[in-house]
Amino acid sequence: MKKITLILLLLIIVVSILPAKELTGLQIIQKVYNRSTGNDQTADLTMSLINSRGDERIREIKQFLKDTNDMEKKIMFFTTPADVYNTSFMNWSYDEDGKDDDQWIYLPALKRVKRISSDSKSDYFMGSDFTYDDLGDRQPTADTHKLLREEEIDGEMCFVVESIPREEEYMYSKTIAWIVKDKWIGMKKEFYDEDDDHLKTLSVKKYKKIDGFWIILQSEMHNIQKEHKTIMKLENVKINTGISDNKFTERMLKRGI
Amino acid sequence: MKYKIVTLLFLLAGIGTLNAQIIHRGFVRTHLGGLIENGEYSVLKNTFDWRLEYSKGDVGLFVNTVFDHNGLTKDLDINLRQAYFDIYFDNFDLRIGKQQIIWGKAQGVFITDIVSPKNLSDFLLPDFEEIRIGITSVKVDYYMGNNTLELVWVPLFSPTIMPNQNSIWYPKMDFPIIPTFDYSKKEIDANLDNGEYFIKYSLLSSKIDFELMSGYMWDDDPTMHVYKTINPQTMQIDSLAVVPQHHRLGLGGASFSTTVGRFILRGEGAFYDGKYFNTEDPQIADAVIEKDYLHYLVGLDFSLFGINMSTQFIQQAILDYNDQIKNDEYENTMTYMAYKTFLRETLKFEFFSYIGFNSNDALIRPKISYDLSDGFEVIFGANIFVGDEGKFGNYDDNDMLYAKIKYSF
Repeated sequence: MKKITLILLLLIIVVSILPAKELTGLQIIQKVYNRSTGNDQTADLTMSLINSRGDERIREIKQFLKDTNDMEKKIMFFTTPADVYNTSFMNWSYDEDGKDDDQWIYLPALKRVKRISSDSKSDYFMGSDFTYDDLGDRQPTADTHKLLREEEIDGEMCFVVESIPREEEYMYSKTIAWIVKDKWIGMKKEFYDEDDDHLKTLSVKKYKKIDGFWIILQSEMHNIQKEHKTIMKLENVKINTGISDNKFTERMLKRGI
Repeated sequence: MKYKIVTLLFLLAGIGTLNAQIIHRGFVRTHLGGLIENGEYSVLKNTFDWRLEYSKGDVGLFVNTVFDHNGLTKDLDINLRQAYFDIYFDNFDLRIGKQQIIWGKAQGVFITDIVSPKNLSDFLLPDFEEIRIGITSVKVDYYMGNNTLELVWVPLFSPTIMPNQNSIWYPKMDFPIIPTFDYSKKEIDANLDNGEYFIKYSLLSSKIDFELMSGYMWDDDPTMHVYKTINPQTMQIDSLAVVPQHHRLGLGGASFSTTVGRFILRGEGAFYDGKYFNTEDPQIADAVIEKDYLHYLVGLDFSLFGINMSTQFIQQAILDYNDQIKNDEYENTMTYMAYKTFLRETLKFEFFSYIGFNSNDALIRPKISYDLSDGFEVIFGANIFVGDEGKFGNYDDNDMLYAKIKYSF
């Protein structure tokens, strides 16, 4: 009996001094992908587009998001600049692997809701440094991931993960992301072009816990090759207010905010 | 002129009192165009498009007044393009007043888009928002999730506005001798019996968006009843009397758009139950005949090498056709559109064309626009008419270059 007790004690000691099993790159990215930001969200989005001369252009958007069981719905109402006022955009993004997003745009000059192709994910959103794909949630299985190291940024310990797209024609050859441990927020992300040259860097400048969810409130995308940057700010963020499904319909696209 | 200025001052004073709650938007635009053939100015127009929006709770108000100063004629034209109230309920919306109502999925072609008539004073060249005439009407939209049922009652008929006789856009009339026009039957009396009624069901879904529609309306374009007198001795035409008259039309149609791989596939079609066409049949005294008629298209939107493109094939078909009808049995048209933006969407190259297969004619419209700053845009473009006859070839002498500067606020 004494012998068995001794073996058990030894086993416990051995297990406790072994290093914790390390997460893989894929598991880290999956945790970022699965980090909940609430069932719904309302926010005012401001984008400042700043060129190499320091000239600034402002785009303002009111946006609503809702997560349902199998899809995320988003509707955006453009308020600035004046020539796009009342233009609205709706996106239904599906959890199902390989299923393309459905997108519609309402152009007040045409007074018509128009279905558009979601094929243009590499296009830049409203002239900013963010592509449509940068703004969406990329499926973790779309890339192969490798944990490179652990590193501290702004006082936060981060996993550094390299992601290489499985799709050959993808606009980036790879990305490297700095993920805050335990919060699963991407603090920084570097994007590399088809020639494997550093193209741009996304840096998170401000994030906050709102109603129990970590929300990124300010980020900056800096295109190093073109010396252009976009600062994206979220204000008046409201989480889980119970936005109705009716918000994501043709009626609201036409009616506006 | 005095009346217009007083109206403007009255409007400004009225708006001033509500100013705190009203959103002012719109644009100021200068448009200069010249004919390539002789260098004459074809357009010299300054426009102030003023939009006022007010909303409180479930009620809204929208007014769009357009002030057009024609530099060539020195005329100031004030047009109330839209003025309506919105009342929002849980499951339905009510819009009452002068409004533009746009239906269908076609681009630059009017198939099921038949509620708002067109202002063709400058042919098809103005922006489509400016071509459509606001009509006084009552519109109800009833919503069931992503399904919408729309009902429209237009109490007073408004016809297509045609170019005046001095305009370079006045259509060529194909008469053997100069006719006399009798407009006594052209007007439609304003009464309940003469109203227009439209209904549309639409669905927006993941797989497909579609619309089913029907209308009991007046033909926006008048039928030209032609009465001729033959000289019994010479057997030549002595006189021609043309009596323009609008006729009732029943119409049913549908449209759809869906994603097929990397393409957006669109379709739209309408069946006209009895439309009048001119005929050369000597047995018919007024030279018009009633025939059922189909108008439909299929279109594709796609992106290639970063260029956004769209193409449509359109066919008009007269059913139970006979050879004496002046129109062709089938009329085939194509449209092609392409655009690409540069410099972070501040520079845009655009190309749009109509191609008519029956008359081998076309309208080609290249355009470059550049945003000097947010909302401040300069545009340079051309309208090139190709062919000798047909809807576009008839205007072969009207090839023009133009420039616009526009500030949106």
